[in-house]
Amino acid sequence: MRVTINNLTFGYDYRTVLKDVSFKINTGDFLAIVGNNGSGKSTLVKCILGINKIPAKRIFLDDVDITEYKNFRNIGYVPQKFDDFNYEFPITVNEILQVSRYTKVSEDSKLEILDKIGILHLQHENINNLSGGQLQRVFIVRALMNKPKLLILDEPTVGVDRENVISFYKTINELHSEGITIILITHNIKESNANFTHILSIVNGESMFKELEEAGEMV
Amino acid sequence: MILAANESFIFALFQYSFLRYALITGLIMGFITPLIGSFVVIRRLSFIADTLSHFSLAGLSIGLYLINIIGFTLITDPLYLAMIFSIIGAMFIEILRGYYQNYKEISMPIVMSLGTALSALFISLAGGFNSSIYNYLFGSILTVGNRYLWVIIITATLLLFLLVFYYKEMVIISFDEAYAKLLGINIGRFQFVSTFVLALVVSLSIATVGVLLVASLMIIPVAAAMKVGKSFKNTIGIAILFSEISIIGGLWLSYELRIASGATIVLINIFILLLVGLFKRFFLNKRLKKQQPELEI
Repeated sequence: MRVTINNLTFGYDYRTVLKDVSFKINTGDFLAIVGNNGSGKSTLVKCILGINKIPAKRIFLDDVDITEYKNFRNIGYVPQKFDDFNYEFPITVNEILQVSRYTKVSEDSKLEILDKIGILHLQHENINNLSGGQLQRVFIVRALMNKPKLLILDEPTVGVDRENVISFYKTINELHSEGITIILITHNIKESNANFTHILSIVNGESMFKELEEAGEMV
Repeated sequence: MILAANESFIFALFQYSFLRYALITGLIMGFITPLIGSFVVIRRLSFIADTLSHFSLAGLSIGLYLINIIGFTLITDPLYLAMIFSIIGAMFIEILRGYYQNYKEISMPIVMSLGTALSALFISLAGGFNSSIYNYLFGSILTVGNRYLWVIIITATLLLFLLVFYYKEMVIISFDEAYAKLLGINIGRFQFVSTFVLALVVSLSIATVGVLLVASLMIIPVAAAMKVGKSFKNTIGIAILFSEISIIGGLWLSYELRIASGATIVLINIFILLLVGLFKRFFLNKRLKKQQPELEI
């Protein structure tokens, strides 16, 4: 999916969070959005997801203005925290995936995705019995359920141990090599060994966009 | 309502149609209340049932006042006014939840207070407490007969229709509203429809267990099932089973021991919750420890 942002300025009430952000990435690109806590990274993602309402002609998804864009199912999103999800009530991994599936995905390809992300053995498990790292993988599988053209991951490795971080980026690199456009938000680009093609760094709402000459060169 | 028991419950079931109707009504309510109650619990709205039942009581009292004092003939049964009030109360809650975005639970005490105040006002205007008010407060499943059976069947059908055709949407909205929004689901429309059905179920539960005990019928079997359920569907199935046991057991015990039916049903539910808690604490946890001795340090 092509994502184009033209001079986007966005704020809540009187506080400006994003100032004049612009960038363009093409299908198959891998963008890292880097910045400190509170720099506006998640706000930018919420704009791309259509959650934050913005004026016309600022964001284009596959050349369609986001204010007219309808098919957000093309975007797979893994949120930073899973606070929005109501835990405790028993539900299995399979049941979550079943209700999250709105594109025709065969049972086999569902199992294939579960296997690729490394949680095939957990499919009948109640999510309340899973560890943080396992749960995160469930949400990645959920994001992949509708065959997304764009995958957005918000700080995916916060609170995950070193070993799991390495295997997580290995999985993400594999997904990228299959042609999915990926936007990954992180405040610690050094820990990631991902094949980024572009980097957008945000400092106090001001942004700098850079295309890397060689994938993953800065890392 | 308390009945004098001369024959055994089973024998009486064959003999008295009112008892058969009470059982059928109870079994249908026992099926649909935990079904919708599960979604209420997941959305952390457990207090909505209590709020709506108190608002329904306002409808009941206004109905009693209109029928008994004013001589209103358009509505013959105050329960129908309770149903309308339950729906109005539900709409009030949704409006207030939108108004206090960060303090959504504020909507409940506001609507509940309004309902209770209106009830107190119209009960006094209608001539104070009498047996019919008592029946609405604490339930009178044995006296409802087949009066509300068709309304209950229609509501149950509506709920089943909603769940069969919109299962995915209902589940994803309840568990993860933000993600449902991203999937392009019209959350407002689903909330409206599900709150509407919930309001109907709450007002109809008044006939079985009464205003003060409605929430227990909707929430307690789910609370017990949550502790032992392995999956979403399994948990709802267990909740329905617990609820039906309480209805059958409650009717039987209240008949045999000549005690209030609504209260007996709720107390059985509490007893099941207690048993499940003990079972989990002493049996399930012990078995888990035995299965994983290598994890112990």
